Amino acid sequence: MDRYSVVGKSLPRIDGILKATGSAKYTIDVELPGMLYGKILRSPYAHAKILKIDTSKAEELPGVKAVVTGNDTKGIRFAFVDTPRYPADGRPLVEDKVRYVTEGVAAVAAVSEDVAEEALSLIEVKYEELPAVFDPEEAMKPGAPKIHEEIAPTGRSFWEEWGVPRSAEVQKVENNICSTASISFGDVEKGFEESDYVREDKFKTNVTDHCAMEPHGVVASFDPTGKLDIWLGHMGFAMKQYWLSRTLGIPASKVRVHRIHIGGAFGGKINLFDYEFLAAFLSRKTGRPVKIVLTREEVFASTRVRHPQVIYLKTGVKKDGTLSAVHTKVIDDTGAYRGTGPVVCYLDHAFSLPIYKTPNLKYEAYAVYTNNTIRAPMRGHGAPQIRFAVESQLDMIAEELGLDPVEVRLKNVRKKGDVLPNGDRLNSCGLTECIQKATKESNFRKKRGKKAGNRGIGMAVSAMFSGAQFYPFGTAAAVRVNEDGTATVFTGAVEFGQGSDTALAQIAAEELGMTLEDVEIISGDSELCPIDIGNWLSGGIHVSGKAVQLAAADAKRQLLEVAAEILGAKVENLQAGNRRIYVKGNHRKGIPISNAIKMSILKRNGKQITGVGHCKAHEPDVNWYPSLTTGRGRFTSAYSFSAVVAEVEVDPETGRMKLLNVVTAHDCGFPINPLLVEGQAEGQGVMGQGQALFEELITSESGEIVNPTFLDYRVPRSFDIPKFKTIHIETDDPRGPFGGKEVGEGVIGAVPAAIANAVYDAVGIRVKELPITSEKIIRVKVDNCK
Amino acid sequence: MEPRRTLLDVIRNDLRLTGTKEGCGTGDCGVCTVILDGKPVNSCLVLALEAKGKDVLTIEGLAKENKLHPLQETFIKCGAIQCGFCTPGMILTAKAFLDENPNPTEEDVKEAISGNLCRCTGYVKIIEAILTAAEELRKGEWHG
Repeated sequence: MDRYSVVGKSLPRIDGILKATGSAKYTIDVELPGMLYGKILRSPYAHAKILKIDTSKAEELPGVKAVVTGNDTKGIRFAFVDTPRYPADGRPLVEDKVRYVTEGVAAVAAVSEDVAEEALSLIEVKYEELPAVFDPEEAMKPGAPKIHEEIAPTGRSFWEEWGVPRSAEVQKVENNICSTASISFGDVEKGFEESDYVREDKFKTNVTDHCAMEPHGVVASFDPTGKLDIWLGHMGFAMKQYWLSRTLGIPASKVRVHRIHIGGAFGGKINLFDYEFLAAFLSRKTGRPVKIVLTREEVFASTRVRHPQVIYLKTGVKKDGTLSAVHTKVIDDTGAYRGTGPVVCYLDHAFSLPIYKTPNLKYEAYAVYTNNTIRAPMRGHGAPQIRFAVESQLDMIAEELGLDPVEVRLKNVRKKGDVLPNGDRLNSCGLTECIQKATKESNFRKKRGKKAGNRGIGMAVSAMFSGAQFYPFGTAAAVRVNEDGTATVFTGAVEFGQGSDTALAQIAAEELGMTLEDVEIISGDSELCPIDIGNWLSGGIHVSGKAVQLAAADAKRQLLEVAAEILGAKVENLQAGNRRIYVKGNHRKGIPISNAIKMSILKRNGKQITGVGHCKAHEPDVNWYPSLTTGRGRFTSAYSFSAVVAEVEVDPETGRMKLLNVVTAHDCGFPINPLLVEGQAEGQGVMGQGQALFEELITSESGEIVNPTFLDYRVPRSFDIPKFKTIHIETDDPRGPFGGKEVGEGVIGAVPAAIANAVYDAVGIRVKELPITSEKIIRVKVDNCK
Repeated sequence: MEPRRTLLDVIRNDLRLTGTKEGCGTGDCGVCTVILDGKPVNSCLVLALEAKGKDVLTIEGLAKENKLHPLQETFIKCGAIQCGFCTPGMILTAKAFLDENPNPTEEDVKEAISGNLCRCTGYVKIIEAILTAAEELRKGEWHG
């Protein structure tokens, strides 16, 4: 018999009907009476002083209600990273100088988009161009154009507000270095000396875009009491609310982030954006709602993209493939403002730590300012980059030593119970099973090295966190039992396509003995829902799901107490199931939940039943996110693992390639909804395929993105996709709800590397630079012949 | 009617039928697909005046008397929907395609929806949903 009746089932998502009928409303669909439309004038230069801005003609245009420039927003700062060491450096509009093409110079609110557009053309800006730099290694050299002067804090960060001592000084920007990470365990030099084989390689990764199908947009409306109502795409309302509050100088309680459907996120809608602040700012100035929807070109060129990295990797192993020492050096191009440079530089390391036992490890990373657009999280945030390097090199090492790449991985992987150098403990770990199952299911050993028909097969593995201690540092949920025997869940987790609402409703239904149809979910609204770390830290199931489970359990306890009185039974002898509370082992001796709730209200002075639950993203004794600079501190309470096997066919003459098969074995603890988990694995598989094979935003010599359209930026289409097989490895994490862990971003980490290894297996060509285009395959082939 | 206005603009902003989405405005993503006289079109590339006297089907008109079209049913059941933003356009493209080709292969389906981008699903379950709906439709029980 099944352990559970609702979780673990592939139930259809609860928002399916709304979405299939076009009834689901997204930010772009929001219209308010008297609404104005905003547009932003963006810089055509990558690095330039602003000498003069004249907005007078624009202001005179009929229908224009407000024009603002950097003079109006002077001193306002926001950013993804805002710590004592790395203060916020982003600004809504350029003040003194432009640092990337498309940086906002002025903004307009007008009665229509057309009028706003026309107003932009009437704004006169005088620029003085400055030398710009787009390559991070060039930017680090002495004499390179200086992008930032001193960056001073503009207020106390939430870290300080919440009690993190100010132990660090503000890091000075020298040689355009935005941040550094320096982490070591063991003695790496000694480790190399003791190695039988040492190899060094250089890898490079590409700039890619999230390409959420809904373009970024916002509707902001200030009311006369000074309260802001706002509709926008987000991945956790707390971050938007915090930064809107701080930049607008109003209490967070005066910012209401409304629940709205979100058309995809993939890491690209976490932090506050220029246009979101500006819509609110213009609304306050005009007293009318303001809507800004970015064009697709603006989404590509002005929002956020994945960090491109240069990775120098030196690895020493014993003859049998046992890792002895690893020295990693990452040069990260973080763009014109800090973005998440300091974070990704930590994450490259942190997402690697739970995978292979490495007795001697040295990791150094530099996030470097360039005149490129700002880089930020994108699904896997560092994992696809670092896995591409590590997993490619591990295959090269295995080949050099005549070892089986699967065996080399199995020999080095961590196991359940391992304690990582940062103190995190692997309370569940299915990495070995992932590798074994993916190998078996894909027929890896039979196909590997055969080069039959220019086909090749390759493997890579990945790991991901399941939430971390970041603002707002805690997550809560509430579950109200309704008089008709149903329940309403209130959670700050947010649905942006991944299936959060459905999975959380399943968790509540299981705990309460209800069906999925019995559970209504109110999520992602800052005024109706409890605080939550949000879903951008991959804690949607493990953390938010845990809070929902605890809240449902609390409601159930109260129902059992009422039922115990009525039935003359002991609470501990009762259970919930089939919409009833009944005596264990005697289903007939019980009452419907709808009766229990009514009895509670009538017999207990109107006592309604609302259960509450709360938890942190880590164990109770862990308060803060680890140090981005030293890597010290615990990171997450549960890691997910995956092994991906890719099979490709490559034409050695043209380099033309077809991805044929992808097998993913994924340890997400316990799949709350296997259908949704498969959807996440497949979506990551195809997004990873794009990352591996053809996606790349290309920057011109003057810093302009030359392919900001779906025609020129090649997103995988239906005819590109391989056959998929997804295998669930259940490891039942002891802390997760019903054993659940991260689902939505670990797998993509392994995909580009698995494809790179498959390409090598097919035609013996090792491409160390993403994307692996036909052109690069031929170029490497020609180089190899020289 | 201003001649420069697109069919998409009129559907969304005059008729307030917001089930038709806009993803790029340049005809590259298929999110704004509607069916014009039986053919799927990117409504962002069609001038509103071109639709004069023609039959326009948007996602709002697909279900009949609160009964979902088989494609809507299978998209939900097969897990073909995630964020849902591409869903209306994807379903309408599939509908026009199945009307023409009721017995397609997997490759036919892939070709038919190649103009519709989806960033969430990797298309796997969308293709499955369309093939499953084709089977349902062949039974002849749907009278839309």
